[in-house]
Amino acid sequence: MALVFIVTLVQDSTFKSVNETSVPLLFVDNDKDSLSFQLENSLTQAHFFTTSKKNISVDEAKQLVATGKFLMAVIVPENISKKLRNKAKAKISKAFNPNDSIINDDSELQLQLFFDPITKQSFKVTISSAIDKIVSGIEMQSLTKELSQQLKQNFPNAKPIAFDSKPLVTTIQQYASTNETSLVPNSVQHNVPAWTMFAMFFICIPLSANIIRERDDGSAFRLLTMSGSYLNVLMGKILIYLLVNLIQFVLMLCVGIYFLPMLGLPQLQIGNNFFTLLVVALSSGLAACGFGLLVGTIAGSVDQAALFGAVSIVILAALGGVWIPTFVMPEFMRKISSISPLNWGLEAFYGVFVRGLSLGGIFIYLLKLKLFFVACVSGAFYYQVYRRMR
Amino acid sequence: MENQFVEIQNISKLYKGSLVPAVNNISLQIKKQSVFGLLGPNGAGKTTLISMLCGLFKPDSGKIFVDGFNTISESKKTKQIIGVVPQEIALYAKLTAWENLMFLGQMYGIESVELKKRINEHLQILGLEENKNQQIRTFSGGMKRRINLIAGLLHHPKLLILDEPTVGIDVQSKTAIINHLKKINKEQGTTIFYTSHHLDEAQDFCTHIAIIDEGKLITEGETNEVIKKNNCKTIEEVYLNITGQKFRD
Repeated sequence: MALVFIVTLVQDSTFKSVNETSVPLLFVDNDKDSLSFQLENSLTQAHFFTTSKKNISVDEAKQLVATGKFLMAVIVPENISKKLRNKAKAKISKAFNPNDSIINDDSELQLQLFFDPITKQSFKVTISSAIDKIVSGIEMQSLTKELSQQLKQNFPNAKPIAFDSKPLVTTIQQYASTNETSLVPNSVQHNVPAWTMFAMFFICIPLSANIIRERDDGSAFRLLTMSGSYLNVLMGKILIYLLVNLIQFVLMLCVGIYFLPMLGLPQLQIGNNFFTLLVVALSSGLAACGFGLLVGTIAGSVDQAALFGAVSIVILAALGGVWIPTFVMPEFMRKISSISPLNWGLEAFYGVFVRGLSLGGIFIYLLKLKLFFVACVSGAFYYQVYRRMR
Repeated sequence: MENQFVEIQNISKLYKGSLVPAVNNISLQIKKQSVFGLLGPNGAGKTTLISMLCGLFKPDSGKIFVDGFNTISESKKTKQIIGVVPQEIALYAKLTAWENLMFLGQMYGIESVELKKRINEHLQILGLEENKNQQIRTFSGGMKRRINLIAGLLHHPKLLILDEPTVGIDVQSKTAIINHLKKINKEQGTTIFYTSHHLDEAQDFCTHIAIIDEGKLITEGETNEVIKKNNCKTIEEVYLNITGQKFRD
């Protein structure tokens, strides 16, 4: 439970940066004219950047980004607004009077962008595109303003044309969730199910230790000499540990729903499909208990079981996306992660919590978890038969 | 032959990785209602033989029949008529004596009212009635041994297998256990298969004795006969003559 608190808090800013992308940006305005004002205004309104304005040199700005104080810097050169207006005027005049000998200024108007070297290429492309879009809007405004003035000069009786600079085509972005309430993946939505799966699989340690202790103290010997099926004994154990797992599951959900919001984190949204959620919890619990049973049957001592159990769960958890979500993993790791039962459980929980899927939608993960359980129990049963009968 | 309750036919068992068989071509016949003592030094093969008798281990060769049932191919039927008292205290330390016995009795499928009656009877005879609601972990070694014994008796087995039932306990507990076993043997007709390192106890308790060493059967027969044919006065003397003075750690 402590892990959920700590890791969720630690990852919260990471998820926010992925989801909300609040980039610390240094804005150096050497223009102090319309373009820099509009650009600064647009950057602030985009809620995409945390803008800090400083009157410093280009080299100083570069140094601040290089030392990691800012993720990027935008340098607006001197007189760029004036040059933009002149260029726009020249372009529009040329369009109206192609034979005029207006001297066209071919020099390029450039904004300088500096990026922190740790930023990925994809980040640079995204940010550059966002700034290009803002600058294009400002350019378009300059051109339309100049066009309007030229029209007024050439056609004095014409009514002034008001250009609406709003884009004609826009995009709507939504998360592909079947939930009525569109849920945003955040640190809580990831960490609560992830660490719930981790905790559920850690039942392996006490369960395997119990099996080994029974074997060492002769209880297993006595139980095996009874006429009832030893499989019933194993199933009885699984039922009890499954119950413990379910209690653990409910407590973890309570942490996500009631306690994490007290720390300023988002509340866990579990959707409305409680039956599906119960089936996922049962399937995950069964898989965890089955694994514990297998480890307890094969391991020679409590120490061996504890060591192997803990290490294998940590590996399966790492592969399964408990610490680092699979969507940020490289492609080949994502393929490997699909062999981890923790990943199946996690994907099933995501299916219910984030994607709002029904039983049918997560059927494949539930099937994998149950097959894993059957394989583990069968393995444990036949291994102990083999060990006795070999 | 008809009077033989347990028939062990040429059984051998070699553990994987071991060069010497734990049990080497042993044949034994145990009469109904007898008290059969299997004696031998540490590592002689007693526990392996018991495990095969219970149907837990499969012999590499040979067969074992209990009341006519093959312990491997008819293991379910065999298990219904045997009771096992392991050498270890095979009880749940955090459960009370009553809870332990109720659980194990229910595992044998004994009906609840009858089970409670049987538990109370045994607890009374073995002087544990007042302690029945105490956790096993609070019990002395002797008390634990007595509960361990009761757990193997609850379903009235025809064959009771005891692996060193009196090891590490005081004389009072030992006497109580042996007297209780004698009573059960006499009144219920239970055949007892017993191992121990207490040779004076074995001489007093067992009607028949077998001594094994290094997996092989050295001598067997009625207790008095075994003493007589080896020209000794006690089983301990026979035992030391046969197995020697060498340590078997």
